[in-house]
Amino acid sequence: MTTPTRRRFRLPDEIGVIVALLLLIVIIGVARPRFLNPINLFSILGNTTFLGMLALGMVFLLAIREIDLSVGWIFNFSAVLAALMMTAGINPWLCAAAGIGFGAGLGAFNGMLVVALRLPAIIITLGTYSMFQGLSLVVNRGRAVVPDRTTSNYFEVVSTKLWGVVPVAALVFVGLAIALHLLLHRTRFGYRVQAVGSNPDAARLAGIPTNWVRLQTMILMGAICGLSGVMYIGFRGAIDPNEGSDFVLVVVAAVIIGGTPLSGGYGTVIGAVVGMLIIQIISSGLIFFGIDATWSTFVTGAVIVLAVALDQLIRLQRARRGG
Amino acid sequence: MTASPLISVRHLRKSYGGVVALDDMSIDVLPGTIHAIVGENGAGKSTLMKVLAGAVQPGGGQILRKGAPVTINSPAAARALGIGIVYQELSLFPERSVLANLFVNREPTRAGLVSLAAMEAQSRDILAALGLDVDLRAPLSRLSIGEQQLVELARVLLEEPRLLILDEPNSALNRAETDRLFAVLHGLRTRGITMLYVSHRLEEVFAISDRVTITRNGRDVLTRDTAALTMAEVIEGMIGQSREALFPPPLPRTDTTPRELCVTGLTGGRLQDISFTAHAGEIVGLAGLEGSGVGDLLALLFGTSHATAGSARYPDGSGLPRSPTQAARRGISLVPADRRHQGLMLDQSIAFNISTVAVGARNDSPLWFTQGQARKRADRQITALRIKATSGDVPANALSGGNQQKVVIGKWLEIAPEVFLLDDPTRGVDVGAKREIYTLMRKMSADGGIVLFASTELAELAGLCDRILVIYRGRLAGDVAAADMDSQRLLHLINTGTSAP
Repeated sequence: MTTPTRRRFRLPDEIGVIVALLLLIVIIGVARPRFLNPINLFSILGNTTFLGMLALGMVFLLAIREIDLSVGWIFNFSAVLAALMMTAGINPWLCAAAGIGFGAGLGAFNGMLVVALRLPAIIITLGTYSMFQGLSLVVNRGRAVVPDRTTSNYFEVVSTKLWGVVPVAALVFVGLAIALHLLLHRTRFGYRVQAVGSNPDAARLAGIPTNWVRLQTMILMGAICGLSGVMYIGFRGAIDPNEGSDFVLVVVAAVIIGGTPLSGGYGTVIGAVVGMLIIQIISSGLIFFGIDATWSTFVTGAVIVLAVALDQLIRLQRARRGG
Repeated sequence: MTASPLISVRHLRKSYGGVVALDDMSIDVLPGTIHAIVGENGAGKSTLMKVLAGAVQPGGGQILRKGAPVTINSPAAARALGIGIVYQELSLFPERSVLANLFVNREPTRAGLVSLAAMEAQSRDILAALGLDVDLRAPLSRLSIGEQQLVELARVLLEEPRLLILDEPNSALNRAETDRLFAVLHGLRTRGITMLYVSHRLEEVFAISDRVTITRNGRDVLTRDTAALTMAEVIEGMIGQSREALFPPPLPRTDTTPRELCVTGLTGGRLQDISFTAHAGEIVGLAGLEGSGVGDLLALLFGTSHATAGSARYPDGSGLPRSPTQAARRGISLVPADRRHQGLMLDQSIAFNISTVAVGARNDSPLWFTQGQARKRADRQITALRIKATSGDVPANALSGGNQQKVVIGKWLEIAPEVFLLDDPTRGVDVGAKREIYTLMRKMSADGGIVLFASTELAELAGLCDRILVIYRGRLAGDVAAADMDSQRLLHLINTGTSAP
């Protein structure tokens, strides 16, 4: 039986990854002090935004014991749609809102299939992954969509850096992270997500509207992908037809490094942010050491294996002590 | 003692984690006898059998065969010692043929190929003795569960064991099949085979066994010749106290508003045309064999499945709930039979679990969810139900079975339901917790709740219910009032669907 600890004095569950992140920064910083330049650090945070937002949403998916493989293409499709609307001369702010709504719609499409067919989201989104990719390719005709940046202040606002240092995109990311952290741990919806993920049968027999919670979670995921997509347009000024194709593995990796288990019932949004930063810092840190950037994929993979190995060791240790 | 024992166990111990399954169990099994082991769920019967079958290693103690100590460290070792075991849960391959199942891993061969003819020849006598007349080359899944159970028995008999262990071998058999099984067992005894018969159905134990060992809390309480025991003595031995002490009397009613649940012509799943009315203030028992439809009735009343015909009127004036969510929001509660898989989120804390209905199902809870609220709820139920836990932060899987069940009940009490559907709520909990759960049921009833109580243990149905609805093959076979609840007649009704002549 666990000892009754007073929550107030307990370290957060994310302390492990946070320490790992700080160690990583210190190690690279000692070897290459240029790395610690705030402009560099904030630009890393800014670059993390688009994938990072997806990771925040994916925490909810894993917490409800599901996984969404189509996130990269919801991101892409929403961005392409918003960009095409912008090229058609519609106010970019409106286009951005439409892109978020469209992403939510694609999420709802996934969610309704999951609920109606009673299949795991991983199977449904394996199919919709290609559906969204294909449709996006149809509408962008296989070419990058480049809206005219001069028509609105949208592009300027999204890509600007406050005081020349802090990217607006990074602020939105951090703001969203805080909001989603509260949503998961401090609201009825977040409680239900974790309850369904803990034991779907018990949740259903306790009267939790499991299908509705699943659908809501997938809509939330879609809307976050849409938000990430339209921010990307504003930030980069264009959307490439293949952008997003390699997102899902990195996103899930970040969530797992952050400490959210694949078995459901628990999730940590803060962990996902830290996990994403670890991945991003490894790949940009390698550049500082003059190592070819192609190594970063390998290193990211190695970090995942290391993270889950440590997690499992801790768990086995706890189980032994508990038994 | 006339003969020296074939198998003896001495001071056997075994615990799983913190749960003690065997605690100083000692039994002598005399050769050529049918020796029954009886006890409540959790008394240690199945662990004892698994130890003898080599499936589980004891934590201490000794096993003697004809006086000589032996080690049974694998199922193969048990087989080599002449010990065969028929498990209650089938350990067969449903997609393979009956013959293939009979000769798993020791198929007779001819010229290196498996010989079906040799199999048929070898199994003919035993199958005839069991009265099993089925297509031996058909896949096992085509057979009824009862026939499958006989196949399992035949498979073990083909190994020609000296000691045959049977774990409720007739749980899926009908009356005729059971009679035939008992005849076979008597035949085996005359051939000198010793049998350990594990059951909690006392009527059968008295019908078949020569000696009885009563077990409780992992110990042997008493071993005696069956003829020298009465049913009442055995029950008292199993529960450790007299019946009157186990079942609390009704409590004075705190809410006497008349409410009723009225079911008319309900059809769906296995059920055909079920009608009854349950009133607030009474405990209505639901009895029936496995697969009779008792579970279907609770599922329909809770909204997990849907009726094809018929209706119900609940105390709130509405009909059948369309979903469990609607049920929970209308104050209809269900304590499911499978506590670990359907009742609890085992990895989560007590506080998390206690909130699953109030926060998870109901929309009248605040949109904000705080640990403070959850812990307050948990503390309230920990105190009210006397859940043994140091705090609401303790995970549910660290609790004993009885305390886990109290958490399941507690999460419903948080919303003060009007209807309680209880599906075997005392399964796998110890006697002390049973009594507490019985008291809770009395309280639910006294507080104006409508209580439907499904159980497979006749003793607790008879001890608590005002009347018992018996379901046989999907139909309401009887509505037995407390006065007529002598267990012979009830048993007959449950097993055959007809009143005794």
